[in-house]
Amino acid sequence: MWALAAAGGSRGDAEPGRPHSRPRHPGTRTMLPLLLPLLATAHGLVRLAYAPTLAEETLGGLTTTSTFTLEQPRCVFTEVRDDAIIWLVVAVPEAVPSFNDSVEPGTPERAFQRFPAGAPAYMTLNTTLPNYPCPKPTGEITVLRVGSETACAGSETRPTCNGPLPGPGPYRVKFLVLEGSEPVAETTWSKPITLRTARQPGSIPAAGSGRSAAMIALTAILSILFAVLLAGLVAMLVFWGSDAYGGSSTFSKPEAVTVQRYNTHHVYDQPAARL
Amino acid sequence: MAKSGDGIHILQGLLVFGNVVIGMCGIALTAECIFFVSDPHGLYPLLEATENDDIYAAAWIGIFVGFALFALSILGIIGVIKSKRTLLLVYIILMLITYAFEMASCITAATHRDFLTPNLFLKQMLEMYRKSEPINNNDKWMTEGVTKTWDKLMLENQCCGVQGPTDWQEYMSAFRTTHSDADFPWPHNCCVMDAQGSPVNLDGCKLGVPGYYNSNGCYDAISGPMNTHAWGVAWFGFAILCWTFCVLLGTMFYWSRIE
Repeated sequence: MWALAAAGGSRGDAEPGRPHSRPRHPGTRTMLPLLLPLLATAHGLVRLAYAPTLAEETLGGLTTTSTFTLEQPRCVFTEVRDDAIIWLVVAVPEAVPSFNDSVEPGTPERAFQRFPAGAPAYMTLNTTLPNYPCPKPTGEITVLRVGSETACAGSETRPTCNGPLPGPGPYRVKFLVLEGSEPVAETTWSKPITLRTARQPGSIPAAGSGRSAAMIALTAILSILFAVLLAGLVAMLVFWGSDAYGGSSTFSKPEAVTVQRYNTHHVYDQPAARL
Repeated sequence: MAKSGDGIHILQGLLVFGNVVIGMCGIALTAECIFFVSDPHGLYPLLEATENDDIYAAAWIGIFVGFALFALSILGIIGVIKSKRTLLLVYIILMLITYAFEMASCITAATHRDFLTPNLFLKQMLEMYRKSEPINNNDKWMTEGVTKTWDKLMLENQCCGVQGPTDWQEYMSAFRTTHSDADFPWPHNCCVMDAQGSPVNLDGCKLGVPGYYNSNGCYDAISGPMNTHAWGVAWFGFAILCWTFCVLLGTMFYWSRIE
């Protein structure tokens, strides 16, 4: 089951001073959830080794400047009743060590509208186990978008609003299962999630006008050609002004060339006269 | 005499041919520049908003230069055939003036094309797209032009932003001040639309699920037509000017050899 496979990489939050019947090393971390029910039943709280993670990287909107997207906790809460409510807890990292599971959601201490100054953590996205059916169907994208409800973000009457996050964070989240007002199960805290920060458009470097080689070549060649033509025009006008131009190399106009008919001195008349 | 008679006829023939080609190229230049000025891709508002629309000025000059080239080529043909010095002098001087204008058009088109970089359009898009409070009427006109153009661009080319939808996330924008990030990580025109013009899956689009939003940038759709426009004006004009240079040199030589 993939949820437990993920536990191998989660941060172990085992309480110090608790005796273990076998030595712990990384390979046996997956055995921890089997031990925990024995230990946790004494406290009434099942602590699962699963840690909430961001959804897959191919999503373009995985983290934006005020929202982030988590993978749904499928096949994680195996021993939870169907009528228990699973909450998502969002907290600033400073509130994680001193977080009290027993504070009820909807109270001012856990109200979204007071986060983060007046309430270091808030609880939202409450649902029941049938909404996270196991196993996860292949090919489906099962995500939870934190920060998608904008309508209730300002109204104090909805303290469990899934409103947009007020800043870039970082934030840590976990799932908490409540039966009535009694916490029965929780996951470990996620790694800190940092959102994007938007820069001002003024910081975009002003369009650098690099002169391309093509433009320089074009300008240079055209300028040279134009200069040659102007020089030619000047030469033309100078030579037009000077009358000394002319001579044997001029082309005569075709109509100026006329063949002069030379009349010979009655050469052809004489033979006519003989007859 | 016969030799120079042949020579003159050959030169005349060459000059007439040269002028015919100039005339045809002039008509082609006019047609090409009219096509560019008509802005078939609807990108003019983007240039107008940058206040750097000189490639359009270059195209306008091209229209008139093309027509002038056509008219002058006819004058040139008549002058060469009739071998009249004054006519040819007028032809040469007017051609040089037209040459200067066409040179200006080519250099303007080539130079101003270099200004049109992705950052220029990115900055303009972020500052003007859906800007809600324009300063004055001119700003309002340009803002509306930019908004309409971008909406059309994103719909027709299935693209988003200049380099991608992350442009809307990485930078603050006028759009962001009126549209919250949670509801509009990017404009809804970036979503894949159905036949009725509404997003196929708005949640998928907001999440950025591949297939429900346009993940590529629009820069290619902008720079492609603008490059064609600028290079078309600049390099075709350059080719015409090179040919005209040869014809004018030949005409000057011819002029100097006739009485």
